[in-house]
Amino acid sequence: MVFDNPLLLGAIGAGLAVGIAGFGSGVGAGIAGASGAGVIAEDPSKFGTAIVFQALPQTQGLYGFLVAILILFVFKNAPEWAMVGAGVATGLAGLSAIGQGIASSAGLGAVAEDEKIFGKAMVFSVLPETQAIYGLLVAILLLVGVFGNSLGATTIAALGAGLAVGFAGLSGIGQGITAAGAIGATARDPDAMGKGLVLAVMPETFAIFGLLIAILIMLGIMF
Amino acid sequence: MKKLRAVVLDEKMDKVVRELHEEGLIELCDLASKLEDSEWAGLLSPSSPAPYIRDVSALLIKTNRFLDLFDSVKGEEKGGLKELLNPTLPPKEKVNFSSADEVISYGRSLLEEVEGEVKELADRLNHLENKINNLQQLKRYLEYLKDFQVDLEHLKSGPYTYVAVGLIPEDKIAQLKEKLSSITDNLSEVVEGKPVVTTENERKVPVVVVTLKEYRDKVGGELRRSGFERIEISNLKGTPGENLERIEREIRECEKERENILSKLRELAKKWYRKLLVLHELLEIEKERAESYTYYGRTERTYMLEGWVPEKYVDRVKNTIERASEGCGVVEVKEPDEPEEKIPVMLDNPKPVKPFEMLTEMFAPPKYNEIDPTLLIVPGFLIFYGIMLTDAVYGLLLTLIGLFVWKKLGKVSEGARNIGYILTLAGIATVIAGIVTGGYLGDFLKEFLGFDIYKTPFALVNPLGESFYINEVRPLLKLGSISVDNGPIAILLFSILVGILHLFIGLVVGFKENLEKKGFKEAFLNQGIWLLLIIGLALGLVTNIPYIILATVVLVVLLCIVRGYMKGGILDAMLGVMDITGFLGNVLSYARLLALCLATGGLAMAVNIMAKLIGDSVPVIGILLALIVLLIGHTFNFVMNGLGAFIHSLRLHYVEFFGQFYEGGGKKFQPFKARREYTTVN
Repeated sequence: MVFDNPLLLGAIGAGLAVGIAGFGSGVGAGIAGASGAGVIAEDPSKFGTAIVFQALPQTQGLYGFLVAILILFVFKNAPEWAMVGAGVATGLAGLSAIGQGIASSAGLGAVAEDEKIFGKAMVFSVLPETQAIYGLLVAILLLVGVFGNSLGATTIAALGAGLAVGFAGLSGIGQGITAAGAIGATARDPDAMGKGLVLAVMPETFAIFGLLIAILIMLGIMF
Repeated sequence: MKKLRAVVLDEKMDKVVRELHEEGLIELCDLASKLEDSEWAGLLSPSSPAPYIRDVSALLIKTNRFLDLFDSVKGEEKGGLKELLNPTLPPKEKVNFSSADEVISYGRSLLEEVEGEVKELADRLNHLENKINNLQQLKRYLEYLKDFQVDLEHLKSGPYTYVAVGLIPEDKIAQLKEKLSSITDNLSEVVEGKPVVTTENERKVPVVVVTLKEYRDKVGGELRRSGFERIEISNLKGTPGENLERIEREIRECEKERENILSKLRELAKKWYRKLLVLHELLEIEKERAESYTYYGRTERTYMLEGWVPEKYVDRVKNTIERASEGCGVVEVKEPDEPEEKIPVMLDNPKPVKPFEMLTEMFAPPKYNEIDPTLLIVPGFLIFYGIMLTDAVYGLLLTLIGLFVWKKLGKVSEGARNIGYILTLAGIATVIAGIVTGGYLGDFLKEFLGFDIYKTPFALVNPLGESFYINEVRPLLKLGSISVDNGPIAILLFSILVGILHLFIGLVVGFKENLEKKGFKEAFLNQGIWLLLIIGLALGLVTNIPYIILATVVLVVLLCIVRGYMKGGILDAMLGVMDITGFLGNVLSYARLLALCLATGGLAMAVNIMAKLIGDSVPVIGILLALIVLLIGHTFNFVMNGLGAFIHSLRLHYVEFFGQFYEGGGKKFQPFKARREYTTVN
């Protein structure tokens, strides 16, 4: 144990979770909001739509907040490094909100032109959330202690798991850019949806690599 | 789909068109493109819209004018919100017109009658509104001149003097005075009033400029340059104050008369509005019929029409044409003779599944001859939705909202009916999932009532820890070194298994489709490999012989390399090694079921914790504040995660599931059909 009280490191984890994810969400919601302001200037009745699209990149911040609360109030007895790992995982993966903001902004633009595309734009805009969900997943697995006394989930190695899924979660930014392009393509030709999805899901491969390595670390099979 | 072709004698054609339009089972093909072919052009000439279109269009314009007028006088209808939340279906009027001419003559007489009652009032209303506008403008000007207590009659140019009355920007006034005295040799006078703020929010000064007539042009030019705004008062007598009184009186009178006319018009609107809506609909339908003639080809005495008819309706359509043409028509039904992408597709699902077609169409309607995935979406969508929202109270709320949208709003909108139906079912699935995982507003019961449901046998799994059934003492099962002894890992395992099963179903469907269309090789390379992998993994796990798993994985990787080689040489073969990670990614993607399930419960718990903290620490109004936090927090969580569950559930289908077998991209069947909202024919 590094400190007498495991919550001292836990607080750092909570801070990282809510801080970094909040940063990501803020930037993402800002990008989407800028586009929303433009749309509303043209047509004030689109306010509701703008709010919905701006809400998408805010979920990452919520996940960060959730994990912070979980660390500080619920899983107070989790291993201290698991707390830091969980914070890093949720926080860094929350930066995918930037990509989601880019996608939402494109989605909002497309819906402003043609309401019928709402569902499709929504599906594309929600793609870059996968990374954040993986981050949240690893955080929960660490905090709950799913892997028992595995060295990978209780020692400083847990930080490695958090870093793996967290940094790989930055692929969400790339995914957001692809998704934004795919929304544009789908708006022009609705048949492009299927192929656009395939392209937009590509950057997710790396998030999955990150998740895999994180799970392998937590399992601790290398020790 | 079948291609239907009919040749009909011209005098029977109108009846055929009318009956097909009412029946709405055929999608007309435009023959214009065919007529560019010289062989066809020798037989047929293009046809123009039916002659009655001109009368119909003219009547439509007139009807729209009256509808607009009535709309403008009707104002806000009472009970707007109630009507919005629970729209009443407009009663349908039974109509029986057997030709366009009947509709036209009915429309003419109806519009004449309306015009007779409305025209005079409408003209008078128009006149009054113009008058009120003018008076109000004058009133505004006179208010600026209130400070000049002189008879306005005297503020006119006389035989020797030139007088100008108007407004000038406050900052230009000094400069203007100087300029004027210099160009008129001091023979001018500028009288200022008190500065005023105009409706454009500028500060201006009302002025009266007096000078000799010979300086008129010079002074006028100078005034223009300094932004002078002239006020026209040439035909007024008396002081501004007196005039204002008179004008106000006149405005009041006009407004009274206008109110009177408006109330009369409102009475008339009650009488005619519905009838005009009915007429509008009838005319629109006639117009569509008349325009459909451009799709046909014609000879001297016959018309030829071509269209797509769903196979199961072919006999009905054929009978309709033969009956309506009274024997003077020939019908021919053929297999589609065009490339597949041009053939329209009609989704045909049993009624309980039909609303889900919306989800299929949101991706893309199936191609011709491709499987319709709607039925396959239903169970997966509902199960995933339930798992991701997992809260019995939220589920109940969603069910209620769904029922409301379905039964109330759905009365007038098909889209609302479909989405309401889907939400209702999703809500029920959520309630079930919530009961299984013991989620009732998160951990509300434990936080506020001290009742820990996971210590009782009423909840199967605890998404955040141990439950009565699954705990360290009683693990669900052991997988190697990991023991499934708590909620999250149990749900994770379940998610992955459901995911594999889901993919397996998709793969089997795709395998079957490919087998029928492209043969065994394609089917095996595209879907068979992964089926093999799943079966191998399952076999290995069940028999507990790890070598089976290892052997399958190696075999599958080799097969992927071979497939890559067959597709594009060495480079693709190397990329083939990566295919297995793609498949793994698909499987792992289903782990989001656990993550989202936890997110709902976790956020609900965070709301409860915050509410409890506030309730305990703030005296007196703490309970009230706690209630507000609970209300806002849970609403927010419900909306966010309800939306998230919907989209992520869709995503799992669009990306992971459809990726195995479905492409889509067909053309939707759009029948030639009369849209009747206010009328009915039978």
